[in-house]
Parts: sequence; C-alpha cells; structure tokens
Amino acid sequence: MNSTDSKVRCVIIGGGPAGLTAALELSRAGVEPIVFEMDKQVGGISRTVDYKGYRFDIGGHRFFTKVDRVHSWWMDILSDEFLVRPRLSRIYYQGKFFDYPLKPKNALLNVGLMEAILVGLSYLKAQAFPYREEKNLEQWVTNRFGKRLFTMFFKTYTEKVWGMKCTEIGADWAAQRIKNLNLGKAALSMLAPKLLTGKNQITTLIEEFYYPRLGPGQMWERVTDMLEERGCPVRLEHRVKTIHRDGEQVIGVTVVDGDGNEERFDADHVISTMPIKDLLNVMDPAPPVDALEAANRLRYRDFLTVGLVIDSPELFPDNWIYIHSPDVKVGRIQNFGNWSPYMIPDKSTSCIGLEYFVQEGDELWTADDEALIELGKKETAKLGLIDPDKVIDGVVIRMPKAYPVYDHGYKENIDSIRGYTDKIPNLHLIGRNGQHRYNNQDHSMVTAMYAAENILGANHDVWDVNVEEEYHEEAHAEKGHGASGERLVPQRVREASPIEILNDAFAKYDPVALGGALGTMLGFVVFLATAGLLLKGGEDAGATLALLGNYFPGYNVTWAGSLVGALWGSIFGYIIGFVIAVGINVTVSIHLGKLLRRLGVLDGPIG
Amino acid sequence: MNKEHFSEDEWKAIGQAIARLRASVMAVTFGIVGGLMLFVATTWLLILGPTGDSEHVGPTLGLLANFFPGYSVSWSGAVVGLFYGALSGAVSGFVLAFVYNLIVVFRKR
Repeated sequence: MNSTDSKVRCVIIGGGPAGLTAALELSRAGVEPIVFEMDKQVGGISRTVDYKGYRFDIGGHRFFTKVDRVHSWWMDILSDEFLVRPRLSRIYYQGKFFDYPLKPKNALLNVGLMEAILVGLSYLKAQAFPYREEKNLEQWVTNRFGKRLFTMFFKTYTEKVWGMKCTEIGADWAAQRIKNLNLGKAALSMLAPKLLTGKNQITTLIEEFYYPRLGPGQMWERVTDMLEERGCPVRLEHRVKTIHRDGEQVIGVTVVDGDGNEERFDADHVISTMPIKDLLNVMDPAPPVDALEAANRLRYRDFLTVGLVIDSPELFPDNWIYIHSPDVKVGRIQNFGNWSPYMIPDKSTSCIGLEYFVQEGDELWTADDEALIELGKKETAKLGLIDPDKVIDGVVIRMPKAYPVYDHGYKENIDSIRGYTDKIPNLHLIGRNGQHRYNNQDHSMVTAMYAAENILGANHDVWDVNVEEEYHEEAHAEKGHGASGERLVPQRVREASPIEILNDAFAKYDPVALGGALGTMLGFVVFLATAGLLLKGGEDAGATLALLGNYFPGYNVTWAGSLVGALWGSIFGYIIGFVIAVGINVTVSIHLGKLLRRLGVLDGPIG
Repeated sequence: MNKEHFSEDEWKAIGQAIARLRASVMAVTFGIVGGLMLFVATTWLLILGPTGDSEHVGPTLGLLANFFPGYSVSWSGAVVGLFYGALSGAVSGFVLAFVYNLIVVFRKR
C-alpha cells in the first residue's frame, strides 16, 4: 500500500455494506483505504448473485430505514436505479396461503368458521389459564395470542430459522421482537390500516419499499466502482492471514490472494467486519487465552439458497412466502421477478430462491448441489407453487455465518473479547459479524459511518449504535457490552435468578385489578339477580332482595333499580377487592422483609 | 445469598412482581367453598328445625329457589344446593381470575 499520499493508512477487512460504507466515507474525507474481501464478489450477505443473467438476492433486502442519513446515502448512490415496489408476502400453512399482514376475510376463509372459533376459544383459554411464568417464547406468545395462533404463525417458522425449540428461546427476545405487535394492533391494522402511520407503524407491515433495479448487490457494486474511481482498491478473493499488533496498536495486515500469494500492508487503522471469532484467531501476537477461548465459543447460524429457474413467466404474486408447514424444510421462498423484473433476463421464465436455515457442516449444508436442487424442486412442488417438470436450471448459494447466535453466555464472551479489543484503539470492529450483532444493513452502515468518523477524530461509541429509537431506550436499562441491538436474535432460556425466585414466591396482587374484577362480578350478580326476579314476576317478587336498598341507596327490584344495583355492586366490589389486595400485599411484604432480614440481606424495611 | 448479591436494579425489583390468578385453581377453590357453604347452611337449618312461630324451616334461605330451580331447605335440597353452590362458585372464581388477569395485562401495557 502506498502510504505517502494518505494522511492515514487504513485497511478495511470485508467488502460488505459495513466495510464498503466505511471505505467510501473515508475516501470522501481524503483518506485512501484499501478493502480486502474474501469472496469473489462484494456485498456480503447483501450481495446479489448473478447466475447466467438471473440475479439472486440472498435473503431478500428491502431498503427501508428509520435513519435519515442512511436513506440519503442510498439515494445519493443509486437515486434513479431505485424502484418503489409493492410488498406482497404470505404465510403458507397447512396447504393454505394467509395474507401477511393478516386480513380478516382471507384469514377466516382459510381457516374456516370452526377453526376460527377454536382460535378464539384458545385465546380465551390463554387469558383464563395463562402460563404463570413467561420464561420462554412459547409461553410469552401463547399468553398473548393463544396456543392455536402460536402453533399456526410462530412455532414452526421460528424453529426453522433458529434451529431451537420455542421452549428453549428466552421470552425476553419475544418481548422485544414482537412487542409492537399484539392482537389489538393487528386487528386495527386489518380494519383501519390508515390509523397506523409513521413511527407507530409495525415495521413488518410496511406495504411498499425501495429496491435497487438489479438487487441489493447493485448498491455495493456501484460503491465499489466509486471507490476504484477514487483510487481506493477493493481486492476480491483476499483472505486475511494475520493482523499484526505491536503493543496496544495494530500495525499491519497480511493477506493471501486466490493464488496463494502473501502480501503485507502496514496500517495506522484497521476496520474489521470479519467474524470476531476469525479475527482473534489471526491476531499476532495471539490474544490472551480467555479472550481467544471466548471468541471460539461464539456460534453462528448459516443459510443456503437453492435458486430455481422455471420455464413459466408467472408463478405467484408474492415477493416472498413464509413457509410455516412443518412437513418441508424450506423456510422462505423468494420470487425475484416480483422484487424487480430486471432480475430476470428472459421474461418467459421466472426464478425463485428457496431459503434453508442450516448449520455449517450439517446434513443440508454438506449435501451436494444436485441433491439440494432436487429437494427444492420436490418441496416447491409439494407446496403447489411450481410444476417440477418446468424447472430448467438450478443453483445453490451457501452463506456461512449469516446470523450471529446469542446463546447462553454470549454476552460474557463478548465482554471478554472486548476486554481485549477495546485496548487496541486503532482496531475498529463494525458490521454484523464484526460486532457479532444481528444488525440490519442500515444498522451496519451506521457503525461504519461512526468508525470512519472516529478515525477522523470523532469519538462515537460504535457499540451503542441502535437504529430503532425504542430499542435505544431499552439499551439504557442494560448497558453491558453488546446489549443494544440484540433484539432480533433469540437467546436461550436462562436459569431464574434469586431475585426472580423471590419475586415469584412473594408476588403481590394488583389492587386495581382485583378491585376491578370483584367489582365487575358483583355488579353483574346484582343485576342478574334483580333481572331474574323481574322476569319471573309474581306478587312479592324481590321483596327480600329489595332489602339491599338499606345499603345501596336508590336500589329496588325494578329495571331501573337493577342498573342502580349494578353500579353499587361494582363500587362495593371494587372497594372490597382493593382492600383485600392491599391487605394481602402488606402481609406478603412483612413476610418477605422477615425472610430478607433473617438472611442478613435487609437492615430496615423493604423499599 | 447476602446483600452483595444484589445490584441496585435488582434491589429495586424485589417484591415488585405482580401475581396472576390461575382461573382453574380459582374455579375449583370457589366451587368447593360455594358448594360446601350452601350445603352446610341448609343442613344446619334442618338440624336446628323450625324456630319462633314459623312452621317452615329456613324460609329466607329457601328464596334461593328463585335462582336455583329445584332447591329447597330439605335434605334433598341440600344436595341440590351443593351442586348449585359449587357451580356458581366455580363460575365466579373463573370470572374473577379471568377479569383480574385481563386487567393486569392491560395495566402492564
């Protein structure tokens, strides 16, 4: 690397959205970075694979962001090349296609009246018999939607994506990931979608999106061209062999090209988007054992797409379909022509991408391409989406380390790794795998922009970048390393802490809720008793019940009196319930205080 | 477990959890109590026999027949009362828990 023309020598590892964004930002500021990408093409998981002119988007990338800076950046790069595409996605379950977001008529027609009633009963049952503990995803979702809806729309797909049972996924993830979605909002979005606008709108329900004419890879191919034009090389098929460190500084990087030639580049700064696990394994001298072991404990979820070219101009109207059926392994199917018609070179054909969520080295990952294409044909035909005889070509694209996994102990691992990397101020970790955080494209780009600005003298915390404001607020509550941004990846169920056990054992009653419940019930009882006597009739009907008038002024056994009685019953019931709850809570607090004092944890009263 | 085991946030969280009611347990409990109460009340009046000038046993409690068809202050009525008491108790317990849980969920949001 010719360093004499640059104020700063910067090596960027990885040619995905984060790496290329950082490179372009630096080059715009007068720095001449060099980018090394291990793959044959740029874009990382946002690349678009070209196969005989058919373009495959790996995972489907809508260009939607709440960060104005990122949106402007995209528009600046591709402006005229962006299409505004309508979104249509459906859920396939038990041989039926459900519109997504759900629409009442479509959902009712698909499930049938009887199943709809069962769904309603299941919801009522969940409200009446909720899981007392909400430790895992199944419990959390069932308590809010009922078991039947959980089974239909949450269970199978989640388990396919993450390779874990819903009972093993912590409820915290559901609370963050699905917190904007409840039956009330879902119903409102079905019945009056215009009422849900702007920031209150549920992200997954957005009906239109920007999309580059030739797929998301077009963005990163264009950025690469711009970098080359500016004299900043982007070298493909270059694997990082060693990152050289001298004391608390990185001083250079040795890369190996596709022919096995090694070359060393000195650097004042290194921006890394490579997986942290790999990064720590190429550091020279090696990191401390605990940091290295922590890095080697990090896990990833991998991904493969089986692309099929079909001799048919139209297949189905969706951009993508979620496959919730447990009888096939495919998790999602993309119809690339519906993302952009320019993705298909021959308009008499179509191409689709069957997405399988896998583990590197497992049965699907290691299966040969022919077998995977056959599996894809078989499963798509089984779903009734294509005629397998019309498949004229196929391709398999494997994407290792597509999703960082937040398993048990992941946070401690990241803390341990950062205990080492944070001491190297000119090593900047950004992007999804660079930070082992399930960033979306825009999120990764913001980390890159911040890192570039840090090199130029700013002082951003790249680990504190969070795209969605509501998540940012949550990050303040728990500010451990890597805490923000963990919203999209499930965590395993963890053991209950002593505090949780104490809280379970000494949970309090909500006085308002108990008052409200008892008030509702007593009001109804008085009303029904009065109405029953009135309907029955007779000379002395209700003479005894009318004695309640001694306590309920204005009450008598008449229709008007039944309403007065209901009101009084509610008031009395509320007061009684409230007092009972407060009484129980005081008793519970006294016992809890005694216990804590006996354990030597508490000196004075609680609170 | 001692004081050092708690962070400031954990300390604040102690005793702040809100209990949920299990509708099934509430229904069974209220059902048993309701059934037994009406059964015992009826049999107690039968054992005491007529009081004062009245020839009838339990004329006031007998008014429950307005709501519980077939009920009377008699030995067979006590069994019918056991059934009705249990039924109305179970329904009350269930509704109470159901409404309570709904309000708790609503207030949490």
